[in-house]
Amino acid sequence: MYKAAQRRIIVPFLAPALVLLAVFFLYPLIKTVDLSLNEFSRTGTMRFVGLEQYRLLSGDPDFYNSLKNTFLITLIGSGMLFPPAVAVAWALSQRIHGERFFRFVLFAPVVLSVAVVSLLWKFLYHPTLGLINPALESMGLGALAKTWLGDPATALAAVTFVSVWHGIGIWIVLLCAGFERLPEDVLAAARIDGAGEWRVFWSVMMPMMRDLLRVLVVLWVVQSLQTFAFVYILTGGGPFGSTDTVGTLMYRAAFERADFGYAAAAGVVLVVIMLAVAKLLNKVMKRDDLQY
Amino acid sequence: MTSSTDMKAPAVPDVPPPPAPPRPPKKARDSRRPRAPFRPYHLFFYLLLGAVAVSSISAYAWVFNVSMKTNGEFISTPPWQIAETWRWDNYVNAWDRAHIGMFFGNSVLISVASTLIGVVLAVFAAYPLARIAFRFSGALLGVFLMGLMIPWMVTFAPLYLIMRDLGLLDSQLGLILVYATYNLPFNVFVLVGFMKTLPYELEEAAAVDGAGPARTFVSVILPLLGPGLASVAIISFLQNWNEFFYALLLIHSPEKMPLPLGLFQLGQAADYGTNWSTMFAGMMITVTPVLLGFALLQKQITKGLTAGALKG
Repeated sequence: MYKAAQRRIIVPFLAPALVLLAVFFLYPLIKTVDLSLNEFSRTGTMRFVGLEQYRLLSGDPDFYNSLKNTFLITLIGSGMLFPPAVAVAWALSQRIHGERFFRFVLFAPVVLSVAVVSLLWKFLYHPTLGLINPALESMGLGALAKTWLGDPATALAAVTFVSVWHGIGIWIVLLCAGFERLPEDVLAAARIDGAGEWRVFWSVMMPMMRDLLRVLVVLWVVQSLQTFAFVYILTGGGPFGSTDTVGTLMYRAAFERADFGYAAAAGVVLVVIMLAVAKLLNKVMKRDDLQY
Repeated sequence: MTSSTDMKAPAVPDVPPPPAPPRPPKKARDSRRPRAPFRPYHLFFYLLLGAVAVSSISAYAWVFNVSMKTNGEFISTPPWQIAETWRWDNYVNAWDRAHIGMFFGNSVLISVASTLIGVVLAVFAAYPLARIAFRFSGALLGVFLMGLMIPWMVTFAPLYLIMRDLGLLDSQLGLILVYATYNLPFNVFVLVGFMKTLPYELEEAAAVDGAGPARTFVSVILPLLGPGLASVAIISFLQNWNEFFYALLLIHSPEKMPLPLGLFQLGQAADYGTNWSTMFAGMMITVTPVLLGFALLQKQITKGLTAGALKG
């Protein structure tokens, strides 16, 4: 009886949320594949062209350039992100003085908008009016001063650094949770056996955190392959396409050339690549689980 | 009447486990892990953390300092030279003439409305998924959770066309609905996990007392959801307040823009014009309330955003 009554509320309770999800997420998701099989004229009419967009993509140097940059961001970013994040999380897990303060400072950028953080760094990087170059010059390191965002050699790394600076707090907190879950007795046993702190960290803690690290690397890859806002605000893809990512390429294709088919095809390719890389990483980094 | 044995939790296949039930209070952890005695290698930690802290704080201080300068002062003095006077009229200018006040109002409206819709719809959707056994509950939960895994950004081209066809382009209502939808997967995920930790005797007792299922939901389950609702609402609000990409995609007239987009436009203008100090005052206005809120709610926000990292 009561169960039958309960069943009557299932549909009205679920329907509103499902309608929103269907209209603004599921339908666009399916439609992406559909759009990628069409060509758009400037007037906005659609024509079915089959796999033509994918053929265009495969011969487009701009697309390869953006793919290369996207992968570079992922790669450079993981180098900038993981060593400091692991070191800081290790430090915080030692419950040093001022832990709460450091946690606040490290996590604060995460709660700021990508737009604000990008603008802030755009001005910090400014060659003459910013903070970085004048500071370097005053310390006698003027030779290191650069037009960070204006030089194709440094622009990509500079953009990547901003995205790492913004997000590193989340990785630190997740790693901290990992350090806190490590079994005390194993660590104590290692210390009794005469292992120094560095040895405990490198030979005991890191192997036990392997699974967590794998998940975090995959998360970083999935996130960084979608990089858009940082690039769009900081450099707009320039100078000379040196920071153009798949995200910004898609956006420009859609809104500068009204070429929604091309944008959708690039999106589909990006998702496929993302899934493939995530799968590959999971496989490569997977080891037989340690039991502890 | 139903007995407690045939009221099983709905089976949910192929779905990551819901978040753990509330952890024991922090005190327990603190006592287990006392502060380590100082060792020489801690010096390295303090140096590392100190460097990061100093650089972040000096960036903030720099923005504050510039927001107090005149444009001429900004161009002619080194960045660390303290502004001559407290020039609060930069803030007045930013708020009125650069329309930061308007953007702020838009942001409040958009974030509050979308958070409200996203949370309310998620509570209703999560209830049957968590506590009523029916045939497609597993599959439906899977549909919601798919939203946590698929990169949303990829679907922007069809989304734009759909919004155009629905006449929701360049409308705050459209942006609100999109934000609410994009909050749903995470909210449903957290609330389903939370509701499953409540004892199943609650519904039975209510049924014995003659309450219908809707009544049970409103007067028995809802009041118990306080902490779960709070964390979901805080995280949704933060995300909606900060969102940039969909605002850029969907909103085109300045008088409808939320803060991040408005600030971005100001930044573009500052590139070519000389509106520097206004721009920095605008940044302070945007950043300070968020940082204050974060200082107050640090624990909930950290925990929630960490769970939300799944969403990427």
